[in-house]
Amino acid sequence: MKTMQPRPLSTLSLIVLHEARILVRDRTLLLVCCVLTLMVGYGLFVGLAQATLRDRMVAQVLKHEQETQTANSGTLQSVLAGQTALIPFSNPANPAAMAGTLSGRYATMPNAPLAALAIGQSDMMPNYYRITYLSKVQFMYDTEIENPWNLLSGHFDLAFVIVFVLPLLVTTLGYNLLSAEREHGTLRMLCSQPLSIATLMTGKVVVRMLALLAIVIPVPLVVLLLIRPEARGAEQLVLMLSWSALVAAYCLFWFAVAALVNTVGRSSSTNALIMMALWTIFVLILPVTMNLAVGLVSPAPSRTELASRTRVATAESLREYEDLYSADYRYASDPEALLVKNERIEVPSRMRAFFLAKQKVDEQIEPLLKRFDQQLLQQQKLVDRLSLLSPAMLVNEALTSIAGTDSRRFLAFKDQTEAFHKRWRQYFSPRIQESRAMTVRDLSSLPRWHWVEMPASEIRWSIWWRAMLMLALASVLGGLALARSSRGSIE
Amino acid sequence: MFAIIAAKDLRVLTRDGRLLWAGGLVVMLMLVALAAGWNRQVQLNSERSAGQALDYDAWLHQRHRHPHDAAEQGMHVFKPEPSLAVFDPGIGPFVGSTVWLQAHRQSEVKFRPAQDATGLQRFGELSPAWLLQVLLPLLIIVIGFNSVSDERERGTLRQLISLGATARSLLFGKAAALASCVGILIAPVGLAIAVLIVARLPAGERVDVVYRIAWLAAGYGLYLGFFVFLTLAVSALARSSRAALVLLLGFWVATMLIAPRTASEATNLLYPTPSRLDFDDQLAHDMADAGRKAWSTHFGARTQWDPSVPLSKWGAALKVDDEAGYGALDENFGRLWDTFERQQLAQVWIGLVAPVVALRGYSMGLAGTDFSQHRDFSTAAEAQRRKIQNIVSEDLIEHADRLGNAHFTYKAGPELWASVPQFKYELPSVSFALAHHWASLALLAVMFCLSVALAQYALTRPLMR
Repeated sequence: MKTMQPRPLSTLSLIVLHEARILVRDRTLLLVCCVLTLMVGYGLFVGLAQATLRDRMVAQVLKHEQETQTANSGTLQSVLAGQTALIPFSNPANPAAMAGTLSGRYATMPNAPLAALAIGQSDMMPNYYRITYLSKVQFMYDTEIENPWNLLSGHFDLAFVIVFVLPLLVTTLGYNLLSAEREHGTLRMLCSQPLSIATLMTGKVVVRMLALLAIVIPVPLVVLLLIRPEARGAEQLVLMLSWSALVAAYCLFWFAVAALVNTVGRSSSTNALIMMALWTIFVLILPVTMNLAVGLVSPAPSRTELASRTRVATAESLREYEDLYSADYRYASDPEALLVKNERIEVPSRMRAFFLAKQKVDEQIEPLLKRFDQQLLQQQKLVDRLSLLSPAMLVNEALTSIAGTDSRRFLAFKDQTEAFHKRWRQYFSPRIQESRAMTVRDLSSLPRWHWVEMPASEIRWSIWWRAMLMLALASVLGGLALARSSRGSIE
Repeated sequence: MFAIIAAKDLRVLTRDGRLLWAGGLVVMLMLVALAAGWNRQVQLNSERSAGQALDYDAWLHQRHRHPHDAAEQGMHVFKPEPSLAVFDPGIGPFVGSTVWLQAHRQSEVKFRPAQDATGLQRFGELSPAWLLQVLLPLLIIVIGFNSVSDERERGTLRQLISLGATARSLLFGKAAALASCVGILIAPVGLAIAVLIVARLPAGERVDVVYRIAWLAAGYGLYLGFFVFLTLAVSALARSSRAALVLLLGFWVATMLIAPRTASEATNLLYPTPSRLDFDDQLAHDMADAGRKAWSTHFGARTQWDPSVPLSKWGAALKVDDEAGYGALDENFGRLWDTFERQQLAQVWIGLVAPVVALRGYSMGLAGTDFSQHRDFSTAAEAQRRKIQNIVSEDLIEHADRLGNAHFTYKAGPELWASVPQFKYELPSVSFALAHHWASLALLAVMFCLSVALAQYALTRPLMR
């Protein structure tokens, strides 16, 4: 026997169907979807261009490294065979020259497989460093070249489309969920049906959200899978899944906000104003205010102080190795002095002085440099906590860490580079001190750079945690909206 | 009639909650931004001028040493913060402030504050300029979108006209009301801070800063005026208040959010920025080329630092080598910086659609925090480096080259250190900024006039539709 009680699910699907028809005829949905598709496409294009540029740079650097190595071992062989005239500064048998000007070693950080999803800090932070015996202050502060005006404007990447634009499109579709029905007088009619307002609102949200998510989630993922083979691994698929969950949760959050605003019972215009105000606060004002607050609470050490300390350390090292610096220099007139004898070579004392002085400077500056990095990590921790205040911050952080373009990864790269730089020096230090000449075998056994990727489990956890938090927030708001809707007035 | 309309509108607006809440928020943020900026500037400036003085002092009191080693220690120079950076930090967070002037290396301005900040920095910098550029237009839209449409919807527009209110007095009355709302919010804070900034300056710099403030006020006046009249025009043209609101918010989003980023991406395609790697490769290549040429003409040597050049010519060789590099440095850095400036110049035209882009460039130009003024500083720092280098080389030729193989045993004393002048950098004057940014100001003026014309047209259209 059939009951007269309407089944909520079938009512819901009925509403979804009706809404879909209306939205298609209304053309708003079509327009919004077109705009979204265009923006997602363009954002992806920008991200891909940036990722390709970085890839190309790493490839170029590695090629350069290979070439230098071949050239060095060629020169060394002919130097040892006595075929090449000796140039004091570019004699590969001389360990000080190999450690410095002749070094073709680079520390590189490859793109993460999903780098195209967010540009993050990658337009500012370098993804390679040239390793020589130079002091850290001399080579670790090179930045990527980019017009500062463009850095200020920001890039039009996918993360921007999601964090900034998606909520606005949600607002466009959802600011008048109920208020329009009320203003058209159809809400009364609907209420006379065996239908709860909660079901009505759910149906409306479902249609709109599915339409947006059907574009914003599959398009980038499919494109990435098609054109970037490295995105096809199992681990990357899990990352993509978490990315989708995050985007869906963020979208749901804004629809929940729209629904909640609609249950207050104000006019459509007021709703639009409230939504806009919330967007401005969450997406514009809170992040910039928090940026200011982070800088105030946990300020970076002074760069001016670093400069002064560098000066003092340099002066001290100059004094310490004064004798080496000002020793006689006879190699120009007597190139024979640079010949390798019994696997020994006379390292020109000035070159030895350079090597030792830079090492000394770094030893003295090290604690201060460490403080900069620690402070940045401290700030990052603070941001993690503060990002609970604004979903935009939360999602932005997670998106960049999925793409591997967040400050944490760049900091890890810097850290590893510093360790490698130390190893590089340690390799040469005894050779320079003991005047041991470089052999052909030495050239192939120079310290090698290996980038150790950040632990995937840590990243995964931080992303899922954020996605779940976002979802929980959205559900609370959504639940509140549904609960309120049953008590709302229809006038 | 004009005054009555203005007074009535103003009363309505002040009684409305929108102005109170939104305006209160803007004023509060403005105060926070000013306090933070002020604090930062005082700290930075005192730190930098002290740092620079100490640095020069250390230079003067070096012990006897080889001049080339002294150039190795070099000199640090710091970019002074222009006093109006409190108002608009411009590209400040994304360019460095410190140059280490050393021998043989082009002085690059290092230590960008953004490097010491988290990814949050990329959301933007809370500054008074940002508030005026982004949030105030939104405020104008929010309080003004229904100022005409509401009168029409309530039927009071007809009554007003029957009382003899002309379109002109209606337009300017409403505009005056909106403008005075904005004025009430920003004028007191603005005036107070302007007086404070000017009072703190040494008398010599005051006039320049006062001019800068006046020009800034003109630029922002035109910009906010544009939004006032645009809001009125759309309010009068749109079918309903709701339509007016949606249209205006759409325009705001498109111009504030979408346009600046699209503009940067587009100009990047038009005038591509080289990657660091390409730039360095090109520079190294050009330097080596120029070096080789110079060495072969001066010493008949095939390579730089050729063993055939005796140590008794190293001072001279150093000079030749350095001077050969100047051309390549100038050309490469010049090209890069020209690219940056061209990119920005192209974006001024985007100002025809999104006035905020034109205003942003103009504002940071007048505040002294734009790229052209950063470039001016970089050039001055590089000139100082070359000065040190030349003095050192001359001294080496004169004294060390005579010593032959004992070249590096030569030690110069305090007289040589004292012959290097202290680095004194004066910020460019207001005319420098105006010469770079007059086009943006003209464009803002044109946009303002267009918006007035549009509003006038909108209000003179027949009421019956």
